[in-house]
Amino acid sequence: MNSSTIAPVEHAREEGLLARLGRALDRPQVLVWLMLGPAVLYIIAFVGFPFILAIALSLSDATIGDPSLDRYVGLANFAAVMRQDAFWIALRNSLLITAASIGLLLVLATAASELLVYSFRGKRLFQVLFILPWAMPVSLAAIAWLWLLDSQFSPVDWVLVQLGLLGPGSPLGPFSHLYYLGRPWLGIASLVVADVWRMLPLATIIVLAARLSIPEERFQQARIDGAGFFRILFRITIPALRPMLIVAILFTSLLIIGEMGMVEILTRGAPGHATQVLPYWAYLKGIQSGSLGQGAAIALFLFPFLLVAAVLALRAAYRSPEA
Amino acid sequence: MSHWITRNVRRLAWMSAATLTVLIAGPAAAQGQELKPADIEFRTSYGEMRFPEKYPDGTSISITQWSHFVPKYDEWFAEYAQEWGKAHNVKVTVNHINLSDLPASLAASISAGDGPTLVEMNAAPSAFIEGLQPLDDVNAAAEATFGKIAETCRHSSYLPTKEMWYGYCHGWVPDPGVYRTDLWQQAGYPNGPETYDDLLDGGAKIFQKTGLPVAVGLSPELDSEFYARALIWSFGGSIQDEDGNVVFDSPETLAAVRYQKKLFDSAMTPQVFAWNPASNNQTYIAGQASYIQNSISFFRSAQDIGSQIANDTGFRPGLKGPGGEARMPSHVWFIYVMPAYVKDQNKITAAKNFLLDLSTNYSSASYYSKFYNFPAFPKQVPQLFQDGGWLDKDPWGSEPADKLAIFKTAEDWTVWLGYPGYANPAIGEVYQTHVLTTMMADVARGTKTPEQAVRDADKQIRAIFAKWRKRGFVGGSD
Repeated sequence: MNSSTIAPVEHAREEGLLARLGRALDRPQVLVWLMLGPAVLYIIAFVGFPFILAIALSLSDATIGDPSLDRYVGLANFAAVMRQDAFWIALRNSLLITAASIGLLLVLATAASELLVYSFRGKRLFQVLFILPWAMPVSLAAIAWLWLLDSQFSPVDWVLVQLGLLGPGSPLGPFSHLYYLGRPWLGIASLVVADVWRMLPLATIIVLAARLSIPEERFQQARIDGAGFFRILFRITIPALRPMLIVAILFTSLLIIGEMGMVEILTRGAPGHATQVLPYWAYLKGIQSGSLGQGAAIALFLFPFLLVAAVLALRAAYRSPEA
Repeated sequence: MSHWITRNVRRLAWMSAATLTVLIAGPAAAQGQELKPADIEFRTSYGEMRFPEKYPDGTSISITQWSHFVPKYDEWFAEYAQEWGKAHNVKVTVNHINLSDLPASLAASISAGDGPTLVEMNAAPSAFIEGLQPLDDVNAAAEATFGKIAETCRHSSYLPTKEMWYGYCHGWVPDPGVYRTDLWQQAGYPNGPETYDDLLDGGAKIFQKTGLPVAVGLSPELDSEFYARALIWSFGGSIQDEDGNVVFDSPETLAAVRYQKKLFDSAMTPQVFAWNPASNNQTYIAGQASYIQNSISFFRSAQDIGSQIANDTGFRPGLKGPGGEARMPSHVWFIYVMPAYVKDQNKITAAKNFLLDLSTNYSSASYYSKFYNFPAFPKQVPQLFQDGGWLDKDPWGSEPADKLAIFKTAEDWTVWLGYPGYANPAIGEVYQTHVLTTMMADVARGTKTPEQAVRDADKQIRAIFAKWRKRGFVGGSD
């Protein structure tokens, strides 16, 4: 085969439209934008634009009937929001509920991932049931918890009464109901439990992925060296899981702190504003009451906290020796 | 002889026929006396407004409204809307959503500049006024045709500072006191509580004896908000005066809040702090409450499931405060608004025609809502109020049949959000951000003294009023 017979074939491949397109797309500076483009567009459209709009709204006197941004009021909305008692309670509760939920999630997700590593009878059924809370719409989950914690028909109360723990002369008080959602700290605890119940599958899946990536030999070696369960857990498993635990913390905390469905359905911020959280307070002020500017200002208060949390979490994840 | 026989046979025949008529048709005739809604009628003229009999091909209107608490009304409305559309060559689409989603839905539509032609709101949507079309012509035509509009509707669809009718209110709902006849009889109140003192005294007796509490909500939700207002109004206090000046921090309001603390300590449980709008209904129907404040939808639900509680239920008009005044709010309103983005003239005309025709046929609306809907124009539903009418003899099965008769005077004791002034955006924000229920709950829980709670609420209310007054939505200067 000589070059004169090969040349026309190569020439045809080089000159074809698809070939030229392929070569163009293969260029790194094009390929990088092709790969990143959809994500960048998504972020601009659904994160960047709403974020800038929220800033603009918070600096304006926009109302629900006239959402135009032509009345600049500076930081007046932020000042007005900070004079509201409900705002400070909501800020405290948002941070408290998120922190408490994350703490519980870390423990439970680690324990669940340890359990799911092993084979046992009915494991598949268990996995399906375990994932259900995450697959369930928030509103449906909240309604289920609403009935569980109902002031009249709570089955939890019924069990406590049957056990003699609740009712006249019992350790938990004279009433036959605990009124979980009508008491401040029980209300907050109820929100934490409901959030943990819903987020546990997601956190566990993230942690389990990391747990399965730890070479089994390390555990075998530790066992041969005489290490017990807890020593292995704290000296091998948790350090190895650390980067993914941080990812789990980041994901779940962002989802919990921005969530208002549970509060809206379970307590509506009551009693008083004792279980109020920032997203729901922003909704009440901005949408239900018509003060879009103040609503946006309340919502933006979350941003610095979320930003700092995200940066710290990502830095910790990248610095991790296991990452 | 034959003539005599013939005459007597004929007489006998007539007598037999008459007897048969009485025997067979008697009950039917009696049933025929049962009042029915007027026949459906569509008009082409209301006051100075004229409408075509048929609209051009392709005309359509879409309506978003809240899912009615009495499902039968939605069934009737769906049929009625289609019948109206067919008669006028207009495609009518009706979309039902949850009542609590209305503000967000309307806000989204206004922001997007597109959406339904009409949106039915459950409370005065005055904060939306800049995004709505004035309906002055419709309201003027309605008053010219149907007579004076109910005050609770006028104050919930007209904003004097903007001199604009921003909505068309076709109906409203009374919010009575509801008591267990058996329990209150045993407590020495055979007609139920008539004053707030009765509620405290009788409620405490029942609670001590049976453990069944007075179940008025102190939670951030609709029923609790209305209860707080009814209490304050009946004690002589209010959020604003007629002109829109804030007058909340008053001895009357303070007395009402102190009363509530006493009532909570004597006859209530903490369950009322985190209730939703359905909670007091559920508690009452479950037989776990001696008194609630609610519209009759729960009563219709109790009837539907055959609950004995329906028979053991009595209704009261507003309870009297220390000065003998009794004021209750409307429970909800039916207020249609037309967003400003609706530009198509055929749509606008058809929608206005639809609104006015709905009031023409309001006897059906009221009837099929099982008298949940009271007419904005009372003359349109004489069957409801007349002696021996629907409220005297409930065709939907009340036992006794005149159980609802107290509602004949409902307009006398019913006021509106913002009473004695208009329902303006500041009043709306105080309502939506639950300033009053939070105040009541803080006092009942003992986290604030009545004085401190009233002072704090007053501060919040003044800030809200100042903000909306600056924009020209609220009158007054204080």
